[in-house]
Amino acid sequence: MAVKELPVVPSARPGTMAAGAAMERIRERRPVFEKQKCNLCRECLFYCPDAALAVDQGEVRVDLRFCKGCGICAVECPVRAITMVPEYAGNRGFIEK
Amino acid sequence: MRLLLNGNEAAAHAARLARVEVLASYPITPAAPVMEKITQFIAEGSMKCNFVRVESDHSAMAAALGAAMAGARSFLITNSQGLAYMSEVLYHTSGLRQPVVMAVVNRALAAPHSRFPEHGDVVAQETCGWVQLFCENNQEVLDSLIQAFRLGEDEGVRLPVMVNYEGYIQSHTRETVDVPEQEAIDNFLPLVRRPVLDVNNPLAVNTVTGPELYMDYKYHQDAALQHAGEVLEEVSGAYARITGRDWGGAVSGYRLEDADIVLVAMGSLVSTARLAVDDLRAAGEKAGLLKIRLFRPFPAAAVRESLQAARAIIALDKNIVYGAGGALARELRAGLYGFPAAPVYSYILGLGGRDVGVEDLAGIYRQVSEQLGSGTAPAPYQWYGL
Repeated sequence: MAVKELPVVPSARPGTMAAGAAMERIRERRPVFEKQKCNLCRECLFYCPDAALAVDQGEVRVDLRFCKGCGICAVECPVRAITMVPEYAGNRGFIEK
Repeated sequence: MRLLLNGNEAAAHAARLARVEVLASYPITPAAPVMEKITQFIAEGSMKCNFVRVESDHSAMAAALGAAMAGARSFLITNSQGLAYMSEVLYHTSGLRQPVVMAVVNRALAAPHSRFPEHGDVVAQETCGWVQLFCENNQEVLDSLIQAFRLGEDEGVRLPVMVNYEGYIQSHTRETVDVPEQEAIDNFLPLVRRPVLDVNNPLAVNTVTGPELYMDYKYHQDAALQHAGEVLEEVSGAYARITGRDWGGAVSGYRLEDADIVLVAMGSLVSTARLAVDDLRAAGEKAGLLKIRLFRPFPAAAVRESLQAARAIIALDKNIVYGAGGALARELRAGLYGFPAAPVYSYILGLGGRDVGVEDLAGIYRQVSEQLGSGTAPAPYQWYGL
């Protein structure tokens, strides 16, 4: 039996938890933005519960390290510029790379 | 220095001698006088300790845990409802491997409401990952609490420790207690600081842990708790060398050599059982006593060794695990299973402060002796003294 070596006190150094692809493992859908429809109203930024959205170089971008795929942005978008796209291939449950 | 102390005062003197730095406490009967005595020591200047007033036992445990994570030696006291209310944070404290020490002044759990002694409160916390020690008299309360800090802070242990003694029978009854000199305890118990909350080395503590790591953390925690049993032997020995008092590590036998029927008990019943054994021996019975000082980790190997020659074992439980029986009887049967061992006769007694005297234990012994003679198999458990 190979027991993992761990810190005695369950803990993590700064940055070691967020740097991984945790959200990629749990996210079922991701937002995709249609630049032609988007009017940069920023409504999606305000509603995003994880502050995963930002306007960068004239367009809305998502930081996929933090997006959990809830789809609130797509619901709130007044011009329907956001589509939620499945992350999983079929129903087998693995992430499509 | 020999003083006339009740169990609560003995506990407060232990905290003073251990140079406890943080006491977080919410008053509860019968544990509250420990808090009163410690605050008196603080007011007199004989103890330098931060007394944190909190609004509940849940918060007391959380404050003690926080103080320990900042590197302070922290202590608390509670019992019954307060211990049950702390339950969630008890698991945090053991899981976060913080050597908090707590005096538990055992009292029955409601309902119906009770102020009186038994072990139901601590038995309800048997899986919380703390070391659990039981004391037979007030001298042992003082000695075990001092040992508890060294045990919990040991590099290979790093776990919280509960020291149990019963309400009123011990907490409010005065006995002669030898209080060691500060210098001797300072040598025995150097302050160990392992701060986790450190501004120069920030950490995310108590992180969400997935299936890939949680079980490994638990493996290490359980191994450390098992190891605490070995370290207790060493700590008891070291303490005996400075004070002359050896409480015998995890278990200790009394007149066990050639004993046919052995009483097994924890807490104040042990001192009662000693007298019962003496009386029975004087009447020509081959009676013996096994004291269980350490309930968690349960010292199964030491129990097997101590009971190998017994013809019958009597488990005395001041607790009832509803629907299952006595906690001690269950441990004894599990620990002896698979080894050639005598039958375990299980008695539930003394709940909610119902008195158990020397003659009661002698009577139980005779009952078992008759059953053994007639070849009657032990019942799963039976209630005594209704």
